[in-house]
Amino acid sequence: MTASRNELRDRARGSLLGLAAGDALGAPAENLTPAEIRRRWGRLTEIEGGGTDDTEYAIFAASLLVRHGHGLTAADVAAAYREEIIPRVTGPMRGAGFSELGTVEALRRGLRPPLTGLVHSHGWSDGLAMRAAPYGVFCPGDPAEAARLIEQDGLVSGSGEGILGGRAVAGAVAAAMGGAAPREVVAAALSVVPADSWTARNIVRARDVLGRVPGTGEAGLVEAGLVEALHEAVVVAHYPWTDVAPEAVALALAAFLAGDGDVEASVTFGVSLGRDADTIGAIAGAVAGASRGEGGVPERWAARITPVTGKCLPVVAGRHVLDVADELAEGL
Amino acid sequence: MSGDRIRGAFAGLAVGDAAGWPAARHRAALHAPWSRRLHRELDAFAEEHRVTTLPVPFALNQPVAPLRVGPSDDAEWLAWTALTIDRPRAEAFRELIAGREEGAAAPVRARISVATALDNLAKGVEPPASGHDNPHHFDDAAAVRAVAFGVLGRDPAPDAQVTNAGDGVLGALAMAAAVAEAVASGDVRRAVEAALAVLPEGTAIGHNARLAVATARAAGDPFGAVPALDAALLDHVYSYGVGAAQTVPVALALAEAAGGELARAVPAAACLAPLADSAPALTGALAGACGGYEAIPEGWTASARTLTGCCLPELAGRDLIELTEGIA
Repeated sequence: MTASRNELRDRARGSLLGLAAGDALGAPAENLTPAEIRRRWGRLTEIEGGGTDDTEYAIFAASLLVRHGHGLTAADVAAAYREEIIPRVTGPMRGAGFSELGTVEALRRGLRPPLTGLVHSHGWSDGLAMRAAPYGVFCPGDPAEAARLIEQDGLVSGSGEGILGGRAVAGAVAAAMGGAAPREVVAAALSVVPADSWTARNIVRARDVLGRVPGTGEAGLVEAGLVEALHEAVVVAHYPWTDVAPEAVALALAAFLAGDGDVEASVTFGVSLGRDADTIGAIAGAVAGASRGEGGVPERWAARITPVTGKCLPVVAGRHVLDVADELAEGL
Repeated sequence: MSGDRIRGAFAGLAVGDAAGWPAARHRAALHAPWSRRLHRELDAFAEEHRVTTLPVPFALNQPVAPLRVGPSDDAEWLAWTALTIDRPRAEAFRELIAGREEGAAAPVRARISVATALDNLAKGVEPPASGHDNPHHFDDAAAVRAVAFGVLGRDPAPDAQVTNAGDGVLGALAMAAAVAEAVASGDVRRAVEAALAVLPEGTAIGHNARLAVATARAAGDPFGAVPALDAALLDHVYSYGVGAAQTVPVALALAEAAGGELARAVPAAACLAPLADSAPALTGALAGACGGYEAIPEGWTASARTLTGCCLPELAGRDLIELTEGIA
């Protein structure tokens, strides 16, 4: 490891803080059209409330890594679901996406991974991608290992493109932790998914749009054109749910490129895309935060990030992402 | 005899399609759009006023014929497949793109998998990516079309890959294999075995198919198996019930539990409300192929054979059974 311990710790803190900030910033924009977001906020730049499932599930994933390290297996993850998540789901499973509740149902039926991730219809959910940052943080400069590790988590609750979306984001964060430049970060994401996949095709399409359509700049009109072109390139037109990993991951990495790795520019542009805006913001924030470190996250955003409430995952209530980042960095 | 069983597969699919409650909702597409908007408003009214009187498709100022028992989406897609079966599949699908455009004169309605595949084809994304880069790659649109390939003993994969991937393609392979065996032998056990043989155990559809068949065998009777199938197979988590990993296993299990008798298998499938859009149709196709056309109650074939064009307007008025004449 060439990077100093302090530098890795700083990037770890930046990544998880960026994730939490992107999640919180994007939460009120989820499922809104870009035009509606512009109408309400212009550019949404200020965090209004707390974060959502993205942050709490990322904290849970980090706790698995702290306990099991590089030896983490799908069986370990399934055991954690059985022991720490399912007993606390007594009524509604608040803040859970289809893939998480589908997985809980599969585990309740006694299934084991990978069937737990295969038998529900949301295998391609972005639920793995949204919590991928800790895996990248844990494997600085080693996208392949980050992707291998997150797949163990993904086999419990996802399948196919959902797992690939998680691999891509974990790989991107790992590369950013190693100090890679934005275009290298996206290349790292592509290096850990098959070229013949929806995820890879969408990342390439989004990247091509950025090369073709004028950049963000200050002019709102120019930006609106870019947003429209990105939607045209990767958004599924006739599907009502927005948590499709190949779409959210491609949009988030496009936002990271559009912002040239700057946390605020990447996250605010990501959130302006609408769709699964909190997850897009969380992914863009996690990757950019790993690139720029804790100091790259605007102070006014960092000040809004408090310990999570456990409203989605009671087992993580009271944890702060910065403490979680420090724990992960201890293991490096 | 196999001609009768080929007709039975087609008629059985249409009968099952007609028996499920969603058929009337699909057929209501023949009404003016405002009448469906009123339906949605009545649904909101029931919620707002906490009344348990739920709206059903209704005809205010509109013809009542579409709301009588009759076939809907699945029967039309089977007919379309039979009519285009000798053409390259992507080419045949590409002709539907115009009907998906805003303001099309003959608007095409299709499942999410098919709608997305047509979008993909329009953008130049060819099969198998057109079916794979698709949020509903797992649905049973191709399994329905596979009935046409099954009666001819042809491979449904090139067709299935245009709109589906993974379990969606496996569902088509399983239906084609089961229907082919049913048409050849009339033996439902052998038909189910033929389907299971093409479904790998490590897939959701392969796991569910074996589980469903075992569950229905244990219940010993199709109607008696309904609660057990619900408990074992349905996840009730997702907003749509057309997953091939649920509907195809239910069709196999109920057709077998009914000994291949359509009149026992289809009503049970229609009782699994979340799957009632297509599981009864697939069940009917398989049972119809086992028992043949003549074994289907006449009142049902009379009601189910004439298509209305609620999804594919060009098929309005076509007789599904006449389409089998060159084949059966």
